[in-house]
Amino acid sequence: MPLTSIDDRVVRVDAEAKARGEAMYVADYSFPDMLYAYMVRSSVPRGRILDIHVPQLPDGYYFISAKDIPENGRNELWMIQKDWRCFADGDVRYVGETIGLLVGPDRNILKYLLDNTKIDYEEETPAVTIDDAIALKGGPIYGEDNILCSLYCEKGRPMQEIFNEADSVFTETLETGFQEHVHLDTNGAIITEEDGKYVIYVSAQCPFYVRKSVAGLLGLNPEDIVIRQVTTGGAFGGKEHFPDVLCGPLLVAESVIHKPIKLVFDRTEDMLYSVKRHPSKITFRTALDKEGSILGIEGTIYYNCGAYLSSSYVVLQRGVFHANGVYDFPATYLKGMGVATNTFPSDAFRGFGAPQTLFAIETHLDHIARKFGFDPAEYKSRYFIKKGGETVTNGHIVEDVKLPEMLKQIADASDYYRKAAEYGIGSGKGIGVSFYNHGGAFTGNGEQAIIKAHARLVKTGERVLIEVGSTEMGQGFQTALRKIAANALGIDIEMIDYPNPDTSLVPDSGPTAASRSTMIVGKIIEDCAKEMRERWDEGDFSVEKEYVHPEGHPWDQSTFRGDAYLGYGWGAAIVEVEVDRLTNEVKTVGIWTSHDIGHAIDSLIVHGQVNGGVIQSLGYASMEKMENRNGHFRQESMSDYVVPTSMDFPKQEWFLVDNPYQWGPQGAKGMGELVFNGADAAYVDAVERALGITVTKIPIPGEDIEEALENV
Amino acid sequence: MAAVRNYVPETLDEALLLRKAEGAVPLAGGTDIMVQGKRGIGLSPEIGKPVMVISSLKELKGITMLPDGSVEIGALTTAAEIAESLIVPWHVRMAASGMGAVALRNIATIGGNIGNASPKGDLPQPLILLDAEVVLISFDGERRVLLDAFIQGSKKTDLHDDEIIKSVVIPPHDFTYSYYRKIGMRKANAISKLSLSAAAVVKDGLVVDFRASSGAAGPKVIRSREAESMIIRRPVEDIPEIVPDFLEAWDHAISPHAMPKYRRNSTARMLTRFLEAIVNEEEPGIVE
Repeated sequence: MPLTSIDDRVVRVDAEAKARGEAMYVADYSFPDMLYAYMVRSSVPRGRILDIHVPQLPDGYYFISAKDIPENGRNELWMIQKDWRCFADGDVRYVGETIGLLVGPDRNILKYLLDNTKIDYEEETPAVTIDDAIALKGGPIYGEDNILCSLYCEKGRPMQEIFNEADSVFTETLETGFQEHVHLDTNGAIITEEDGKYVIYVSAQCPFYVRKSVAGLLGLNPEDIVIRQVTTGGAFGGKEHFPDVLCGPLLVAESVIHKPIKLVFDRTEDMLYSVKRHPSKITFRTALDKEGSILGIEGTIYYNCGAYLSSSYVVLQRGVFHANGVYDFPATYLKGMGVATNTFPSDAFRGFGAPQTLFAIETHLDHIARKFGFDPAEYKSRYFIKKGGETVTNGHIVEDVKLPEMLKQIADASDYYRKAAEYGIGSGKGIGVSFYNHGGAFTGNGEQAIIKAHARLVKTGERVLIEVGSTEMGQGFQTALRKIAANALGIDIEMIDYPNPDTSLVPDSGPTAASRSTMIVGKIIEDCAKEMRERWDEGDFSVEKEYVHPEGHPWDQSTFRGDAYLGYGWGAAIVEVEVDRLTNEVKTVGIWTSHDIGHAIDSLIVHGQVNGGVIQSLGYASMEKMENRNGHFRQESMSDYVVPTSMDFPKQEWFLVDNPYQWGPQGAKGMGELVFNGADAAYVDAVERALGITVTKIPIPGEDIEEALENV
Repeated sequence: MAAVRNYVPETLDEALLLRKAEGAVPLAGGTDIMVQGKRGIGLSPEIGKPVMVISSLKELKGITMLPDGSVEIGALTTAAEIAESLIVPWHVRMAASGMGAVALRNIATIGGNIGNASPKGDLPQPLILLDAEVVLISFDGERRVLLDAFIQGSKKTDLHDDEIIKSVVIPPHDFTYSYYRKIGMRKANAISKLSLSAAAVVKDGLVVDFRASSGAAGPKVIRSREAESMIIRRPVEDIPEIVPDFLEAWDHAISPHAMPKYRRNSTARMLTRFLEAIVNEEEPGIVE
């Protein structure tokens, strides 16, 4: 009998140090002779750099820019492609693009130098919105058509035939906005040299990504650079690739200066000059018969990628693959296009492209249901995909889909059907519903073909050390992974160590992203632990294993056909609201969710993730408005870009269905992103019903509700 | 980057002298000044002038009921103290209790909120409704000015270079109906997106007094005496036919820059609701 059962609710291993203020974040570190760095950034969205005027630099101060990259280095950050420049050179493509670093010992002097550095531009007309990009405003930014990336997938008979047979076609366009991560710990990194190697201390999700991304700047190999993740106070995807944008310039500076250098963003910099969630514009054309049944759906999906690709192609793929939601429609054709604009590059954010299309399909189906007089829950549940059902990539669902049971749980708990009938449309009270899913881990065979994750357990005496590249960023992974190992080893969780990763010490277990850590890395560690338990009496030894992909699930990355995901998390949400008719203020009076995450590793951590993910999704739908005018973000602080507080939403009632996943550790699947993916649509549905309005764009603060009321 | 001198006066006289001699900026809670002067991590805020921390001046603290029924609130009184005081008029207590978050309410002062003169500031809006006066003190003496006149525009006041805000005096009122709403970007810890106070005295079927004030709807808190006078001294039964003209006059008086449609329509709906309470002769008290 294991001392730490997988079902025990344990106190998180990082809780005490964080609560006491003892945890060390980047901003807390200091080294002897440490210098500070300030970024000199573009203040125009698009233009040519004519001249850079840096004030006379005092001794010990430096201006580092593209000119400092050595001959054998290249001015590029290697994310998925190598298009994002470390330093703008010759031209600028978005507001906030790094032009240089001012480095020196005194922040007061650096601030003076920064404020007095002037850059002359020949400004060009920027393209900021998806529509601007399509219209090639100011001329193409990328290629001839501004399409940075695109893909399509289809299922069933050709949509043209379906449209010809349809009784009617329901067409609408839905849009979602930028979203800022607002991790409490702003972006930051420190570079130094130890034993002849460059060492970077960084607040990051993916230490191995940073190493790979920046090495080429100096013509080095990734192994020549050591990345040490420091305690990371939140990330939400905002620290998946973006730390590269800090670490690249720091590495170039270090190669010139050879002293410790610290770069930490303040909140305004983190708001204005960091990656955001992709805005989207999604048009569905849905073929219907005369009863309102769906014959097929065509979707045209645009994501605003900003000036560089970063991870946008992968984000777009996930968006397209989730664009039929949790439904099995007879036919579909989905085309996704990522467009280039002169905005800060969009990048990973919890949900990674899925929330946009899921919001769109859910809201679109609500509108069809309402048009034909059906209750949305009843209407949508007709189309729930089932085990073996065909996905939009012609793959199949491998697990039992428990959505009917999940709907029943939350409909009973919320008294949904009675309230839906009683409140009707336009009574000021509304109850809304949504369904969603999230494909676990990397798309298709990415885990097998690209990542090839490794993980290692090291036994020393009675203690066991976990060696992985996966990071704790507030989601609870250092606790969850210890539990998985302890459980499989049959020892107490206290006997297991798992420090923040150092790339020179641990194997690359892949990025901490894609809801893959528990499901993929957890499984490798569980397998290592099982072997270690067998061999426990052999003394001190280590066990390292590589990810093994389940057989019989083909995927073709060139055609996007096959099993895009080997297992999904599933969700259902109901939200109830009352709207003040005088002020359009929405009071959320109830939130009910049910999730299928396989088997929960720790229900306390899961509860935290459900609470946080659902509230973050409701913030996305209701109040988190990030506007960009002429290339400049308008919200620059936590008082003008508001995220919800505990006052804004009531206590949630939450359920899990137990549905152990055959390839996960202890039956667990990914869940960190799933819980973000759907409450937004339930909220919008509830507000629409309460006021009798039609919403096609989120967020919907009071002023946007006012616009919608005018169109009633 | 020249060094700026900072002071901590121990008496009001000392503060007034510093104010006169050095033009020192008074800093109490610092919740506006420190934010406005911030320069980033690891750097002291830059105020641009000498600063005097006046938090310990007893002369500027406390809430007192004056013999004529007026309430005097010392400039250093915090939002939390105002919210909890039973002698402070209801409108002002409501505004104080909805200001920022708990930590801010514990240090932000009424003097600072007035001196900052933001059109989105929480306290000036109900104070202007109530015809509050601000007491200004300098080395040469005191003067009293109607707050509505003292605040001249966004971030602009009639504070002289040698003056400090000493207190606010709110004359007594006995309203039949009162209304207060602040709409923030979220339910707590939010800057006002729009606010409205309204009050009326109804006697024997006649509206004896009527007033309203709009916050965050123009460069300063807006009261329109012209619109108010359309209602004052009119019999209750006449109000329904006056409402459209009144609303038009009020709409004319406010000048919201951003989200104009929302701010105008919400203001009109709230005023309509308040007038409806008068017309329907609802139970006297707070109109919801």
